[in-house]
Amino acid sequence: MSTSVELGRARAWAWVAHLRAGGTTPWAAWQSADGPEASPPREPIAGSARGGRFLPGAQQLELLRRLNLAGRPSTALADRVLAASAPGRGRPDLELVGVDVDRRFGPPAVDPAELPDDELLRVATGLLAAGLVERRESAVPSPDRQRFRVTRRFRPRYELAGDPWLAAAYTSQLVADGRPPGGGGRSVHVLGTGVAAMLAHTWAAGAFGEGAPSWPDFLAKVRARRRLPRRVALPEVVDRFRARPHTGRVGVVLDPAALPRLVGVRRLDAVVDPPAHATELARQVGSALSLLVLPAEQTQLLDTVLRPRLAAATGGLPTVPPEHRDWVDDAAFALRQRLLRAGYPVLGDPDVLLTTPPDRPVGSVLDLAIELLLEEEAT
Amino acid sequence: MSRKVLLHVGTPKTGTSYLQDVLFRNREVLAEAGIAYPATRHDGHFLAALDLMQLPWGGLQAEAIGAWDALAEQVRAHDGTAIVSHEILATASRAQIGQALESLGHGDATEVHLVLSVRDLVRQIPAEWQENLKHRARLSYGAFLDQITDPERATRIGAWFWGVQEIPDILDRWGQDLPPSQVHLVTVPPPGGAPELLWKRFSQAFGLDGIDLDLEGERHNPSLGAPETALLRRINRKANAELAPADYRPLVRELLAHQTLSRRTRSPRLALPPELHPWVQELSASWISEIEARGYDVVGDLGDLVGAPPVTDYTDPDRPRERHVAAAAVDAITALLLDNARMRHEQERLHAELADVRGALERAHATPSYRLRHGIVVRLERSRAGRTVLSVYRRARGRSSRSA
Repeated sequence: MSTSVELGRARAWAWVAHLRAGGTTPWAAWQSADGPEASPPREPIAGSARGGRFLPGAQQLELLRRLNLAGRPSTALADRVLAASAPGRGRPDLELVGVDVDRRFGPPAVDPAELPDDELLRVATGLLAAGLVERRESAVPSPDRQRFRVTRRFRPRYELAGDPWLAAAYTSQLVADGRPPGGGGRSVHVLGTGVAAMLAHTWAAGAFGEGAPSWPDFLAKVRARRRLPRRVALPEVVDRFRARPHTGRVGVVLDPAALPRLVGVRRLDAVVDPPAHATELARQVGSALSLLVLPAEQTQLLDTVLRPRLAAATGGLPTVPPEHRDWVDDAAFALRQRLLRAGYPVLGDPDVLLTTPPDRPVGSVLDLAIELLLEEEAT
Repeated sequence: MSRKVLLHVGTPKTGTSYLQDVLFRNREVLAEAGIAYPATRHDGHFLAALDLMQLPWGGLQAEAIGAWDALAEQVRAHDGTAIVSHEILATASRAQIGQALESLGHGDATEVHLVLSVRDLVRQIPAEWQENLKHRARLSYGAFLDQITDPERATRIGAWFWGVQEIPDILDRWGQDLPPSQVHLVTVPPPGGAPELLWKRFSQAFGLDGIDLDLEGERHNPSLGAPETALLRRINRKANAELAPADYRPLVRELLAHQTLSRRTRSPRLALPPELHPWVQELSASWISEIEARGYDVVGDLGDLVGAPPVTDYTDPDRPRERHVAAAAVDAITALLLDNARMRHEQERLHAELADVRGALERAHATPSYRLRHGIVVRLERSRAGRTVLSVYRRARGRSSRSA
C-alpha cells in the first residue's frame, strides 16, 4: 500500500471519529489525519459485523454529518447509521474521494457533500423502517383509535367509499365515536372531491398502505390505463355497490358538509390532506419495510406508528405536473358530465371535480427523515 | 459447524441456473458425500440473497424475510462441506458481506471459499440488457449501453451492471478477508466449445468430481435473438402499466420469452456493437492482469475473458428488420392463443365440475327436512322477535353459523 493511500485512509478514519463525536465538518474541508482515531476504531462500530474494519460508505457518512447538523444524535444512532446498508437497488456504498488514490476498480469515489438527497434517503429510510420494526411491540394505537368508545346501540347503518383517504379518515372518526360502518341495508356514501386531489389521495393511501410507485410513476400508470383508479371512478363505485345485496341507498357525496347528516352526527372534523413530502417519505419507508415484515404488518406499522409521527408535517398535496394536466382535466370533465346525468343522488356541486388543490410549498423529504431519526431517538 | 463453506456469489449469465438446479436436484446424493446444499425450494438461495441484501424483487421479498438467517443456520449446523450459491450476491455491500461471512462461520473455525464464475463482457453486456428486459425494463439497447459506459455509474442500471459484472471489484469486496488460495475463479469457455466443459470446471471448483450426479437438468436462461428482444421491449412498453408482476412472470418471462421466443434460434443474434469492442478489450485486459497479479485459483483460462472478435453482420436491436419482429410477434400471438385455449378448456372443465357440485347441493337441499328447517329460518329472520329467537338458539347450539 502506498504512503498516500495510508495517509488518505488515516484522514478518512479521523473524519469518521469526528462525525461519531458529533462533528459537522464536510469531507472536502477535513484535513486532519492525526489523533488516536486515525485508524479503524478499536471498539467496533455497533451493528457492524466486522467491527469497523472497512470504511463506511460516503452515503452513510454524509447522512451522519447531516444528522449532526440538525441535532445531537447519540453514539448509538451514529453507529447504526455507519453500519447501515441502503435497502433496495441503487448505487452501492461509495468511497470517499481522495482516500484510495491507487484504486482502479469499483464505482468512482465521491465528495459526500455532493451526493443527491436520494442517496442519503435510501440509508435513512432503511433505518426508519428498522426502527419501526424494533418498536412494533410498543406500537400505540393512533389518536383516533385511542379515543375509541363503545359501539352505540342505535346508529345509522352506513359505509363510506370512493376517495380512499377521505373515506378512511371519516370512517376512523365515526368508529372513534362508536359508529362503525356496516350492517344489512346500509347506505353507501361514495365520497369525491377534485380529481387531482383524489389522485393524490389514492397515491397517499397506497404509500401509507401496501406500497405505491413514485408520484410521477403513479400518474403515468393511471394515464396508460386510460381510466381513473378503481376507488375514485365514482360512477363505477356506485354501480358496484348497487349490485351488491343487502345494500340500501347509494349516492355520491361531493360536499363534505352534507356528510354528517347522512351518517347521523352533528359534525365531522375536516380531513387534513397528507403533505407530499410526508407521503413520499412514508412510501419510501414502506418500501424498505416490505423487506422486513409481511404486507399486513407493513400497513399496520405505517398507519399506527409512522402516520401519527408525521402528523405535524405541513405542506400541500403533490401537484399534477404540466405533462399530465390535460388528461387529468379531461378525466375530471368526463366524470362531472357523468355525475350530472347520474340516476342516483349526488350531493354537492359536480364542478368541485374540476378544482385543483392550491399550490403550497413542499418540504424536503430528507429533512423530514432526519427529523424523524432524531425524534425517534429522543422518545 | 461446517468445516468448509463454498460460497458462490456470481456472476449472472454464467450457467448459474444450471449449476443451482443440479445442486438442488442432487441434494440427497450430495448429502451422502458429506456436502450440504441447504434448500427446500429451487430458489431458496435466491430468497436468502434477497433477504441479506434487502432487495425488493417483484413481490418476492415477503417470501424472503428471514431466509438468509435460516440458510446460514443450516450451513452452520452441517458437519462437513456446505454450498451456498446465488449470482446476485455479487453486488452485496461490504457491510452485507461482513454479515454474510460472519453468519456462515468465517473467523470461527470454518474455512470459507469464494467461488466466482465469470464470462467475457462481449457476451455479458447484451445478455444483461436482455435480462433487464425480461424483468420489465423498457430501455433501448442504446440507452442501456449509454448507462453502462458512463463512468459515473449513477443510474440504477449502471450501478447494478457493474455491481454484478466488474470482476476485480467483486473480488475486492468479497475476497478482502480471504487468502487468494481460497478464492476460485471459474471461467466460462468461449462459444462453440464442448458443452460439458463448463460443468467440468464447476465440478472441479466445488469438489464434486467423482460424485454420481444427475446432470439432466433443464433449468437455464435461454437467450433471445435481436428481433425477439426488440419485440419483448415493445411488449413491456405497452403492457407494463396494466400487467401485474405476478402475471408478468408466468406470461411474458416464461411463456413468451423462455418457452416461445427463445426457440427462434435462426434469427439474428444479439451482440455487442462492434464500435464498443476496443473499449471492452481494454477493460478485459486490465481485469485479466489484475486477477493474475492477485494470485487467485483460476479454474479454466483467464484468456476466456477476452471474448470473441466483433461480429461482421451486426443487427441493432433498436432498429430491427420489421419483418423479423412481425414473425416473432406471430409466434408470440400463437403461443398466447394456444395458452388461452388451454385455459378455456380448463375453465370449461371447472364449470362442469362446479355444475355437478351445485346439482349435488340442490339435491341435498331438496329433502323435506331441509326445506322445513329453511322455511322456519326464513320466517324467523323477517321479524325482530324471530331474529332474537334464532340468536338464542344459535348461542345455545354453540356456534355462530347462520346456516340453517
